[in-house]
Amino acid sequence: MPVVDVDPDELRDLVGTTKDDDELREDLFALGLEFEGWTEDDEFQLEFAPDRLDRLSVEGIARSLRYQYGTDRGVYIPNTNDAEWTIEVDGPPAERPYVTGAVVRGLDFDAESLESLIQVQEKLHATMGRQRAKGAIGVHDLVALKGTAGAEGEKSITYTSMDPDEETFVPLESDEELTPREVTERHHMGSDYVDLVADLDEYPAIYDDLGLFSFPPVINGRRTEVSEQSRDLLIEMTGTDQWTIDHMCNIVCYALSARGGQVERVNVEYTDDTSGEYAGHTLDRPDFSVKTKRVAHDRIESIIGVEFDAETVVDCAERAGLDATEYTEDGETIYEVDIPPYRVDVLHPLDVIDDIGRAYGFNDLEPTYPDVSTVGGRHERSRLEDAARDSLVGLGFEDLLNFHMISQEENFDRLGISPGDDYLGGGEPVTIREPYSEAYEILRTWALPSLLLVLENNTHREYPQHLAEIGLAAHLDDSANTGVEEYQTVAGVLAETDVSYEDARARLQALAGAFGAELETPPTEHPAFISGRTAEVVFGGESVGVIGEIHPKVLVEHDLELPVAAFEFRLDALR
Amino acid sequence: MQLPEAQVAVLTTADSNADRPITEIADEAELKPETATRAAFELEDAGLLAVTERTETSIELTDEAHEYLETGLPELRLYEAAVDAGADEEPVSLGQLLGEAGLDGPAVDIALANFARKGYGEVDSGSVAADPTADTETDGELLALESLAAGEPVDDENILDQLDRRGLVERSDSTVRLVQVSDDGVTALMEGVEAAETVDRLTPELITSGEWESVEFTEYNVEAEAEEPPQGKEHILRQTANRVKDVLVGMGFKEMEGPHVDAQFWINDCLFMPQDHPARTHWDQFDLESPDQIEDLPDDLVENVRSAHLEGVGDDGEGYHSPWEREVAASLDLRGHTTSLSMRHLSGHAKGDLEPPERYFSVEKVYRNDTLDPTHLLEFFQIEGWVLAEDLSARDLMGTFTEFYEQFGITDLDFKPHYNPYTEPSFELFGTHPETGEIVEVGNSGIFREEVLRPLGVEADVMAWGLSLERLLMLMYGFEDIRDVHGTLCDLELLRDVEVVY
Repeated sequence: MPVVDVDPDELRDLVGTTKDDDELREDLFALGLEFEGWTEDDEFQLEFAPDRLDRLSVEGIARSLRYQYGTDRGVYIPNTNDAEWTIEVDGPPAERPYVTGAVVRGLDFDAESLESLIQVQEKLHATMGRQRAKGAIGVHDLVALKGTAGAEGEKSITYTSMDPDEETFVPLESDEELTPREVTERHHMGSDYVDLVADLDEYPAIYDDLGLFSFPPVINGRRTEVSEQSRDLLIEMTGTDQWTIDHMCNIVCYALSARGGQVERVNVEYTDDTSGEYAGHTLDRPDFSVKTKRVAHDRIESIIGVEFDAETVVDCAERAGLDATEYTEDGETIYEVDIPPYRVDVLHPLDVIDDIGRAYGFNDLEPTYPDVSTVGGRHERSRLEDAARDSLVGLGFEDLLNFHMISQEENFDRLGISPGDDYLGGGEPVTIREPYSEAYEILRTWALPSLLLVLENNTHREYPQHLAEIGLAAHLDDSANTGVEEYQTVAGVLAETDVSYEDARARLQALAGAFGAELETPPTEHPAFISGRTAEVVFGGESVGVIGEIHPKVLVEHDLELPVAAFEFRLDALR
Repeated sequence: MQLPEAQVAVLTTADSNADRPITEIADEAELKPETATRAAFELEDAGLLAVTERTETSIELTDEAHEYLETGLPELRLYEAAVDAGADEEPVSLGQLLGEAGLDGPAVDIALANFARKGYGEVDSGSVAADPTADTETDGELLALESLAAGEPVDDENILDQLDRRGLVERSDSTVRLVQVSDDGVTALMEGVEAAETVDRLTPELITSGEWESVEFTEYNVEAEAEEPPQGKEHILRQTANRVKDVLVGMGFKEMEGPHVDAQFWINDCLFMPQDHPARTHWDQFDLESPDQIEDLPDDLVENVRSAHLEGVGDDGEGYHSPWEREVAASLDLRGHTTSLSMRHLSGHAKGDLEPPERYFSVEKVYRNDTLDPTHLLEFFQIEGWVLAEDLSARDLMGTFTEFYEQFGITDLDFKPHYNPYTEPSFELFGTHPETGEIVEVGNSGIFREEVLRPLGVEADVMAWGLSLERLLMLMYGFEDIRDVHGTLCDLELLRDVEVVY
């Protein structure tokens, strides 16, 4: 979940409140922003669910608090000035076809507000921007840019492609003139994002009249670096989805507007032959248009479980930063609800109902028990498993619960079998892609290895150790839809100084008898068991498992100094 | 008359005209003193024996007295040294005598005090004069000590007091029980008493022959600890799971089951998780190398889900601005939650189409690529439950979960509005810890979004919740490291000693 650092004093300034830290923390919790701790600079670390990405900045959190306190109500749209700048889109890499942008003027940065601007970029990169793959932000000091002058005095920059080895520029945090490829190889920030451009023949690039100034999504040039002295900014965002970067841009513009910046629109001009779905179109950005959702009054009542009058619904909507207008259609009360352009989480009328519920106060609702009756019951397999477990416990077994994931070595090698062997446990295993840990790389094909591991880890504990487990085993099976046969397996081990085959046979026999299963144990061979003391477990004529004395080489392998008799078979054989 | 063996022995050993100590009777009858005493009181209750008590003083020699019996009383040693040195004629220096008598330390003072007290001579200005007429051969204190050491009584109270003052004897009072056969006892003896048989084990023969009526049972030490037999026991986590299942079945829930290895379609896409959502990497599910892709997905359902992701659901719905590939949906994972089972059931692919109302649950394993630590496992049990009904509200959800958690002692449930991609509204559940009283997160819940339900063909409302069984176990029973309980690193001793769950 995203974490955002917020200076409580700055928050108080932006909200216009004198509440103390504790009160603020409580109000933030009510908004869903959980206090995680303090930063080294005495700022709140706030964690929140990743729906309200408009709260990734102190400015956004302040806005939410102002709505919560009733200082602000309804939808707010900042004024924007007409466009002076144009971003021409002319042949950027087809993998990254989209760009958006805005100009914000008249800013007066200090260290905190500049830090906040950097933070909102980082947080947006990490969330909506999908680590810059989907959307990457560049912010530039407008003073350092020289637009290519157009016929009517407008200025333009160009989003295009470049040869990674031909172009050079000085990137941020560097004094060296580097080619884009050198940036990805040698620059400490460049190497973090090399994967995003590694497969491209040509790299994304943004030029002004003076040359290359931005290498999205990797790094900006040093020439246009923003400082506390910067007053006017150009914001550009490139990515793989226009909606995503447009909304990232809205969130940044709202934050800068809250700092007193004046937003100025830019034209995004896609040339006719550029890639992507906007070829030949000019977009007017930032897109501060309001979208609407129609929400039925009945649905609000049925979801929240409370009867409302229309005034309350409208009031709750306004306190959520929305606007709601009531109208009637086919005798039904409907609200047309305006959603401000910084909201990226409202996909459906239900999301509006959630906002209304939060503003109303979900926690004040009186719980009711739903008045519908249904008949409960256990799954047949789970009843069978329980009955078998009860029988095993009655026979003196300690019931165990082991992981289904295991290593190849534990499952196969240490018991002397291999995947594909025609022995119990020799099935081809389900394997995990790029496992973090070698201890958990496959699903077990049988359960005896798990029980032997428990014996191995408990040699210091009192004997006898009679252990049993009923749990999942799985192996590949082409005939299954998922390609895997999963089943419950029953395994038991008897570790005791004078134990023998007969002790295991006695218990298996008792278990079979309890379930009315006819047990036969014809001799067989299994590498994990002593030859001549190993048998197939046959229930009702079907071979379902193995029973015998564990081979000394397996015992020694598991550091066991006493004999172990064991069995394993499929649970469904007891049906 | 038949009496227990011990009573017969006491009665026949006791005298009818003299009180005899029970200890003596016990010795003679070869009984343990406590057995004889108990038998005597039982005989007294039956009127066959009279028991009286007498206080006796016993005298024990101290360690110091035993030492003097070896080396001689200090005053006598001084006297002998003095006589040897001729002090019976001329006073001799004390220092010289002490050396010859081998006296030092506290023994010096003891020797001098008693030497003077008994009139063995005089000590003056460091010189000792011995009285030649003193009768040291018959020192009363020494003789008394020798008698006591030989077990003979000493009657001279003055000497005993003196020895007591010198710390050479310890006197203590004890009660001695004396018995004498009563007149009824004599009559009984004349009529003849015989020992009833006592037995150790009650045998089938004793029961069936009726012999049990005339036997006495040897008494056992019923307070002694006994050796515990090895015992089978259901795993604590299974016990907890069954407890949860019982509660849910009681609340009208039916149990679901389904595959552990499943397509991301059922695990994520049906849940309206965009394919590029950070949560799909964040939950870090286990992606499979083999098998890689599910053989077959229901085409109509895939199309519905794809459309929900890209276009949204309903007149005013919007989709995500994220790519959606069938190949991603078909790739196989270990399920990261059992909501995949809920999706299979709600879509009708597990049990056929469901009509509201229905309640379903599962307590099954899920797999997450987390870091192993005392509270996190790579695989754990998820409790999952949902209710399908017309017009469910947030209040119904609160009521259902309040009821569920109260069964486990978790009360004062708090519903914190939350975000899940698949539910709206969503709530994190917080409850009061039954032991520590602190507020802890106990689960996650919500009403499924229409983008989840409509593609599955569900028109009614569904509310759902989930929590980890291990978390419930740790909350309820105070385990600190879940690895001691679940998995091959488990400690058998801990599992053996853990208290039963009910």
